[in-house]
Amino acid sequence: MSGGGGALGVERSKRGKASKRKKMKRVGFTLDMTPLVDITFLLLTFFMFTTTMAAPQVMEMSIPPESHEDVPVKASQLLSLFVYHNDMGEGKAKDELYWRIGGEDMLEAIKLKDVKELSFKENTSSRLEKPNDLIFALKVDSDANYGIVVNILDELNLAESLIMEEFAKKTDPETGKAIKRERRFTIAKITSEEMEELQNTQAMGGEE
Amino acid sequence: MPKIKKKRVGFVVDMTPLVDITFLLLTFFMFTAKFKTEAENEQKFVVQRPEASADTSKVPEHNLAVIYVSIDSASADTVYHYAISNEADRAKVYTNMSDALTPEQQEQAMLRVENLDILETLIKNTRAANTKTEFALDADHRIEFKWVEDAMERLRRGRATVFNYVTEKKGS
Repeated sequence: MSGGGGALGVERSKRGKASKRKKMKRVGFTLDMTPLVDITFLLLTFFMFTTTMAAPQVMEMSIPPESHEDVPVKASQLLSLFVYHNDMGEGKAKDELYWRIGGEDMLEAIKLKDVKELSFKENTSSRLEKPNDLIFALKVDSDANYGIVVNILDELNLAESLIMEEFAKKTDPETGKAIKRERRFTIAKITSEEMEELQNTQAMGGEE
Repeated sequence: MPKIKKKRVGFVVDMTPLVDITFLLLTFFMFTAKFKTEAENEQKFVVQRPEASADTSKVPEHNLAVIYVSIDSASADTVYHYAISNEADRAKVYTNMSDALTPEQQEQAMLRVENLDILETLIKNTRAANTKTEFALDADHRIEFKWVEDAMERLRRGRATVFNYVTEKKGS
């Protein structure tokens, strides 16, 4: 550190002597940057340690407002995805997924990674009378893990971009314009009958 | 013999490139730095957020009300906390609820919510104070869904039907 300071001191003393001015040819000057670097490094380390880089992101969710009237829905339009909390005892538990169309069909087991495919397939299915007709209902067991619910929502959001792409290819026969995607999704509670069914399906699956 | 004549008393290192880089980094960190909010400063728990795939959506910075659902590290119970980011709104809400809250609680930015009825009153008062307030639900991924379900039901009753789940970017 003393090196920089010394150099400056020497130069200054030489500058004072007017008679030697002609001899000394100044080609530049050195500025002692040490204190500047000190402060800059101090600030740099401070900001480096106080910043958090990964800011949390959000997933938008909308729920239907309180209403007391039931909206009639065709069974073929409704796809229910169930999250069933399978308590196996001894502290072991697993969240299992089942799905079906309508209200009477057998429940079918599905893995989390296949949910995206399911949503895409059913939403773009030719079985539907109109596009955007399908209502996707997610029914979650109260004991199920919150993390898995977010994972399912994430898969569904990913499927949404695929569906939109698919819809953009088709045109509406009436207006001739591309079909606009309108998502119909709801999150609901499992009824006690559905819960019973889930338990039965789960028990049957276990025997096989 | 120049070797004897020249006596080195020190040496000078050119620090200019160093300063250049340091300043560059300094300005970068200065501009990207985001300071903790008052509520985050009071936060005594850690929320392990669920992971979701990368998205451009970020938590809104202004007029935000967050419901935290976390696991108490000491008792392993699930607890609710509530924080309003806008100070003026917070003051309004706390004054309206002065009978339900103790003077100590009114000092806090991060409010521990003992039961769901208080949560509902808080949500309703927040919406009454500022209709632009956005709600976010910051819940731990390990908790049972019923806790989130209950909070959602209270949001619905408070007519806050559009809200956000706070998530963490996958793989970070």
